[in-house]
Amino acid sequence: MNDVTDGLNASQRRAVVETEGHLLVAAGPGTGKTMTIVRRCAHLLGQGVGPEEILAVTFTNRAAREMRERMRAFLGPEAARVFVATLHLLGLKIMRAAGAAVRLCTRDEQVRFLRSVTGSSRAAQLAAERISRVKNLLEAPDAETARLVEAYQGLLQAQGLCDFDDLIAIPARMLETGRVPAAYAGRFQHIIVDEYQDISPVQQKLLGQLVGGGARICAVGDPDQAIYAFRGADVRNFLFFGKAFPGAGTVALKENYRSTGMIVKAACSVVGNNRQRIEKELCAVREEGTPIVVRSVPDERAEAETVVLEIEARMGPSSHFMLDRAKTSVDFSERSCSFADFAVLYRTNAQARAFREAFTERGIPFQVVGGKGPFGGRALIEELRGQLDTLPDHQGMDAFWRGLREKGSFPDEDWGFLRNLALAYQDLSPRDALAEVINELMLFTTADVFDARAEAVALMTLHAAKGLEFKCVFVAGVEEGLIPFTFAAEGSDIEEERRLFFVGMTRARDELFLLHARRRFLYGRQGSGLPSPFLAEIPRQLMRQERVADGVKKKGGTQMGLFS
Amino acid sequence: MPEGIWKWAQLKGITVVGTGDFTHPAWFKELTEKLEPSGNGLFQLKRAYRSGEGVPVSCRAEVFFLLSVEISCIYRKNGRTRKVHCLILVPDLGSAAKLSLALSRIGNIVSDGRPILGLDARELLKITLDVSPDALLIPAHAWTPHFSVFGAASGFDSMEECFDDLTTHIYAIETGLSSDPPMNWRLSALDRVSLVSNSDAHSPAKIGREANLFGTDIAYGAIIGAVKTRRAFLGTVEFFPEEGKYHYDGHRQCSVSCSPRETVGHHYLCPACGKRLTIGVAHRVELLSDRNEGFRPGAALPFRSAVPLTEILAEVGGVGGASKMVQDEYMRLLAVLGNEFSILLEVPLADIERAASPLAAEAIGRMRRGKVHVRPGYDGEYGRIKIFENGERAERGGQGRLL
Repeated sequence: MNDVTDGLNASQRRAVVETEGHLLVAAGPGTGKTMTIVRRCAHLLGQGVGPEEILAVTFTNRAAREMRERMRAFLGPEAARVFVATLHLLGLKIMRAAGAAVRLCTRDEQVRFLRSVTGSSRAAQLAAERISRVKNLLEAPDAETARLVEAYQGLLQAQGLCDFDDLIAIPARMLETGRVPAAYAGRFQHIIVDEYQDISPVQQKLLGQLVGGGARICAVGDPDQAIYAFRGADVRNFLFFGKAFPGAGTVALKENYRSTGMIVKAACSVVGNNRQRIEKELCAVREEGTPIVVRSVPDERAEAETVVLEIEARMGPSSHFMLDRAKTSVDFSERSCSFADFAVLYRTNAQARAFREAFTERGIPFQVVGGKGPFGGRALIEELRGQLDTLPDHQGMDAFWRGLREKGSFPDEDWGFLRNLALAYQDLSPRDALAEVINELMLFTTADVFDARAEAVALMTLHAAKGLEFKCVFVAGVEEGLIPFTFAAEGSDIEEERRLFFVGMTRARDELFLLHARRRFLYGRQGSGLPSPFLAEIPRQLMRQERVADGVKKKGGTQMGLFS
Repeated sequence: MPEGIWKWAQLKGITVVGTGDFTHPAWFKELTEKLEPSGNGLFQLKRAYRSGEGVPVSCRAEVFFLLSVEISCIYRKNGRTRKVHCLILVPDLGSAAKLSLALSRIGNIVSDGRPILGLDARELLKITLDVSPDALLIPAHAWTPHFSVFGAASGFDSMEECFDDLTTHIYAIETGLSSDPPMNWRLSALDRVSLVSNSDAHSPAKIGREANLFGTDIAYGAIIGAVKTRRAFLGTVEFFPEEGKYHYDGHRQCSVSCSPRETVGHHYLCPACGKRLTIGVAHRVELLSDRNEGFRPGAALPFRSAVPLTEILAEVGGVGGASKMVQDEYMRLLAVLGNEFSILLEVPLADIERAASPLAAEAIGRMRRGKVHVRPGYDGEYGRIKIFENGERAERGGQGRLL
């Protein structure tokens, strides 16, 4: 094992070695948070703490996987005995250890239960969100919501099911009433929690129970990146950490190793306008870099086109066709870009469409992180499943598929692909082929399943971008109404929206593009067409403003004038 | 349309032609509708789609299709961006569908043009081998500066660097329009692979600028076997690589063209303006080769260099290649003498003289003997192959129906 504090800066070192009591680590973006957590574990092991006595909590399964890999790389096989997981996974294990048979209901089942109570699908979705918040915030609900919760829980119990939030609430209650399974009683001496700014009250309650017997907790997070209030998270848990865990020390990680100076300064200028935060000066270790490009485009199609052009400009020509059209002699210099270096971030999944179309047209590999899969997602699968049982089997392949197409509602882009998928199984009966096709589609729709061998431009919401970083980031739709988002049925919190924007900006290592469209059609209506007020919060000297003029697209649709 | 390819394959004298693009859903649909398996891993155009129009009796022949696709891999490896095009051949529609399925999970295969995947070429090879043991992956146009396995801009210095442990599964490379066998013979590392000669075509009329000659049965397995072992692989027909846009080094803006040796003499800078010279294919071969020009390995296969007939007729007639006169003369000669390859390579010159003109016969004769004037392309500027010296054509009286 290497020396634990090797190469760490002063604040990181403090965060690693101060293990006597509770500790709050305010870690800005790109400050080496994961490394610090891994080193802290290493330090604890070095102090004689057993690996089973350490609990490292992450926000997502993906983050848990990454953390485990980095621990193994630094600590060796011993690392496997450290408990690294999301709180939901921990809750599940506690419940199982206590002998409870845990059957998790799916989102669809959840919505189906609620539809029977509320009447419509839309109301069911809203109800699901509201119930989740109630369970997470531990607030007493109003009478109407209380009735809803009761009906819902009743339905769950009748089916022997529990939902995602129950995975926290139930173990928290168990531990509170002293029903601790042996495997977990007083087990954890040290608990490290990542993304603490997005902890919900019920999650804090569970942690509080675990800390109860003298364990020490180290909470790592960034109040400026708290973006899950709508799911019941409460940034005040972070801000008032000392109240829940008396005697806690605090450390701030301020050196950003990820982004260029301009990006760091610009992002800090924006988030500095929030009031509910801890003042900390985040500073860049890297060079100044280039200004942030703020580009006004005519509409969402042009927005996608401009991204395509920028990617092609950096990747070099991706085909002989593009090569022939290059106006100047093509640069033969050494490039080291990959499509995986680029990300397009947007506020809502609905905005992905224009990019998917533009990338598809130009043959740029991309992957959509989260949201619907490229083939209509769950809805498509459910539809196919439904049809599977109703169509007669004795028809030939063609008649079968024609019948399927007539009965279902499949977008054109999906349909061609479905047919080809089916061809791979043409030796089977049409029904068996369809069953196989459905199996294939299920692989496409799970957000975590990406072919690791692929290098593709990442498309995702600002929320999904948490924890990731890319060489070149495009934030799309930086417009009034989208960023900050005001389409939500329930009121939006401008400070949370600003934090979300801060997260987006700080994903970029070398280059950041902020795009806003003068015309946009979203959710059945026209967008504001106005640039986001957050753009005015970026100092002018850190940005370069550009404007793509209307209708400059030449025939053949490639070159567009970049300057009006 | 497959019908168009069928027609032109007969006019050109091609027996087996690649379908291209089988991963594209719309094209795949065309193929499944219009072609039928001929029971040997190849396909034929269904009778219903065959039209006698446009194909003179002298050219009529059976045409077979082989399922092929070219995939563009763009990825980062060992710290550099790589762009490698690969040709994949498969024996049946099931394998084609399986390959499309595997690739669609990785990237987008529905856009027009070649599928571009952010996939390591070695991984693509692995996927190909998993799809079918009879499938074959061939690095395409192996020397073009961009998009090829040895490309100067985004390729590798060796096959192993690109394909790692799977390099033994590479049995052939495609020389493409930009290289010919003698250039490839200069790398001893390539002795163990076959050099196949195919070319991209952006329209059916342009197929067959290059070709491979096999003495095997007309069957997928036999052809693949010949490519792998070189038994019954009789040779290739090549385009003059000097016609390519990046053959020599140079700087287009200054109209400066240099041979690799001259470039070194100029220290890689343009003698006119001092900027960097654009390096071409010949230079790249020079850099990677471990043998001198003119070396011929023992197992080397014979090859013929050819110029498209329309280009020859254009030069003979002193007109542009796309002119109606040339097109009409082209079709007329085919009707009289048979398909294009036979005219270019086999038909006795006396017959050509009778059917066309003494000048045309002389031109084809010279081409067959390799007696052509070559002006290599450079830095995006196409090269030129001329059969006659300036003025020589006029001197010879230019008799012929074209005047």
